[in-house]
Amino acid sequence: MFKDIPVDVSPMYEGERIRSANMFIELGGPKSSGAELIQVAEDVEDGSLEVVGPELSEMSEGEIYPFGIFIQIQGEKLEKELEGVIERRVHELCNHVKGFMHLNQRDQIWCRVSKEAVEAGFKLEHLGKALSILLKEEFPIIEKIAVSLFTEKSEVEAFIETARAAYDVRDTRAMELSDEDVDVFYGCVMCQSFAPSHVCVVTPDRTALCGAINWFDCRAAAKMDPEGPIFEVTKGKVLDAEKGEYSDVNAMVSDRSQGMVDRVYLHSVFEHPHTSCGCFEAVAFYVPELDGIGIVDRDFRGETPLGIPFSAMAGQCSGGKQIEGFTGLSMGYMRSPKFLRADGNYKRVIWMPKEIKNSLTDFIPNDLIEKIPTEEDAGSIKEIRKFLKEHEHPVIERFQQAKEEVEELETVEEVSDEGRVVGAPAAQVAYAPELSMAAGGGVKIILKNAKIYAEKVIIKKK
Amino acid sequence: MIIAVSGKGGTGKTLISSLLIKSLKGSGRDILAIDADPDSNLPEALGIEVKRTVGDVREELKKDAAAGNIPQEANKWDILDYKIMESVIETPEFDLLVMGRPEGSGCYCALNNMLRKIIGTLSSNYDIIVIDTEAGLEHLSRRTTQNVDIMLVVTDTSKRGILTAQRIGELSKELDISFDESYLIVNRVKQGKEDEILKKVSETGLNVIGTIYEDEIVSKYDLEGKPLINLPDDSCANTAISKIIKDLNLK
Repeated sequence: MFKDIPVDVSPMYEGERIRSANMFIELGGPKSSGAELIQVAEDVEDGSLEVVGPELSEMSEGEIYPFGIFIQIQGEKLEKELEGVIERRVHELCNHVKGFMHLNQRDQIWCRVSKEAVEAGFKLEHLGKALSILLKEEFPIIEKIAVSLFTEKSEVEAFIETARAAYDVRDTRAMELSDEDVDVFYGCVMCQSFAPSHVCVVTPDRTALCGAINWFDCRAAAKMDPEGPIFEVTKGKVLDAEKGEYSDVNAMVSDRSQGMVDRVYLHSVFEHPHTSCGCFEAVAFYVPELDGIGIVDRDFRGETPLGIPFSAMAGQCSGGKQIEGFTGLSMGYMRSPKFLRADGNYKRVIWMPKEIKNSLTDFIPNDLIEKIPTEEDAGSIKEIRKFLKEHEHPVIERFQQAKEEVEELETVEEVSDEGRVVGAPAAQVAYAPELSMAAGGGVKIILKNAKIYAEKVIIKKK
Repeated sequence: MIIAVSGKGGTGKTLISSLLIKSLKGSGRDILAIDADPDSNLPEALGIEVKRTVGDVREELKKDAAAGNIPQEANKWDILDYKIMESVIETPEFDLLVMGRPEGSGCYCALNNMLRKIIGTLSSNYDIIVIDTEAGLEHLSRRTTQNVDIMLVVTDTSKRGILTAQRIGELSKELDISFDESYLIVNRVKQGKEDEILKKVSETGLNVIGTIYEDEIVSKYDLEGKPLINLPDDSCANTAISKIIKDLNLK
């Protein structure tokens, strides 16, 4: 099949690196420019192959040249949506060619050709030939394929522009990809070494809590390392579309958490929120007094409206625990259209640090931006309530409704508000999202969102 | 072939590592030096200036991901792969990879998992890899040196240096990390004190493969910040390392 190609072509050369000491020339990379693009097109002349600009035989050793790989494909079943997936294979397939190194993707490609390959008579033309054969073999839906390789500076520059426009279109489409558009999600148990019952469920609308990997990364990782910590999970039956509950996801989480957690709502902090590892970028926490949700991120050093800093809150709700009213989340998830959708999205957010609020201005609805206080606007629950009322935050409807329902709320609010019992000054001495107390008669009492107030704290030496 | 150089901080790991590179280079083989000590100065000892370390790259990618600067569909493995390749410093005779600063706060599980694979692939392209490990025992418990073929433990003549060497030997057994070969190198030995020292270090349970005498010229290079790789070929440190390489059949 590769008999015209003077070097070996085989998957065994994947991962081949060519040291600068052993290379003939470099293409693209940090010291030059380059790009690769695959496009579905009409009227593709099958087998067409061109090198626009100098061939290897016309290049001088040790030099760096710009580089473009442009591949047009045609086939009855080929869709535009597949371009990205097929293009991702160019990296691996180029590396099948012995003596040709290819790194990265899109307009960040970096290639090298070894001295040994050039001595054997290898030309860029052979790379194009190998690519067209390998791509057709891998994707039989490709009926016709044409490869153009650019090494002429002006040609490469024009090509990079074309390619970038195509990536933009693709990125917009990827941003719009939602949980409903895909058949599989991914599970990740990389953090189980310290959070044994934690399972991250990664969907197009929900990146992993650490913020390091999204659905696309998981798809690549699961394919590269099928036995690894990232794996595919089917959705199964949609049990609650709004909250994001799926039967197969529940089953997988139950299995992977050793039965600790058997239900997960992907898009809510209530009832069965996503478990939290410990290394999440931020936490969403329910503030019962305001019936709203606060958000705090790892870099925020001050105290949250709950009276504790991020570190204390993270300590209490991490380790793979599922604690109602709390969920770890990534910055990416805050940019998702499904961000806590079941709870009301940003309409339910009543506090967040200024720094993250500023980074989310494109994602928080315009009419809400001014209504969500930051640490500069309000610190205590009382101050936040005042701010919310003054700025007509939609959440005030919720507590006004509640007020009508429960007449005596006024006095209860007094208590929680100031943290004191009328007439007796008291301070909050402890806070716990979940607190278990032993009680007689085989009964266990669990207090959720417990705040303990005391008039006096006495510390005695035993 | 992976050779790791370990031992207590300040015992001479970097001296040994740089002289290993000095003796091995020019043999036509592909050599990679890895500086795995966040506080080390292997680049200076090799006379190389470092712009960006693996730690810097990891931090950049983490920040970019948090800020949403990476296109959704772009593969982070490949981006990291590229950046790691970019941080490799290439010289005609050997390449150098500097691990650099330790992790910041937040989760590095995913990134470190990618890094392990990427550095594994990168390393597989070299004939000989010399790792200047971080001081102490961390590299054993974190298993960053578990695929090492030859472990060279360095000690000076101090009680503490010898104790650390002994612990390295014990811990690797305890953790079931079996190096094909592990040896002790005793550094800064005073002329005439060899026998006394050799008796002392026998407690470590490690076979001594080399002794390096206290050497004025090494202190002079250190003091002036001159690259140790440029030590004269006939300096006693260099002859000792050349002999070790011969004894290990590395040349």
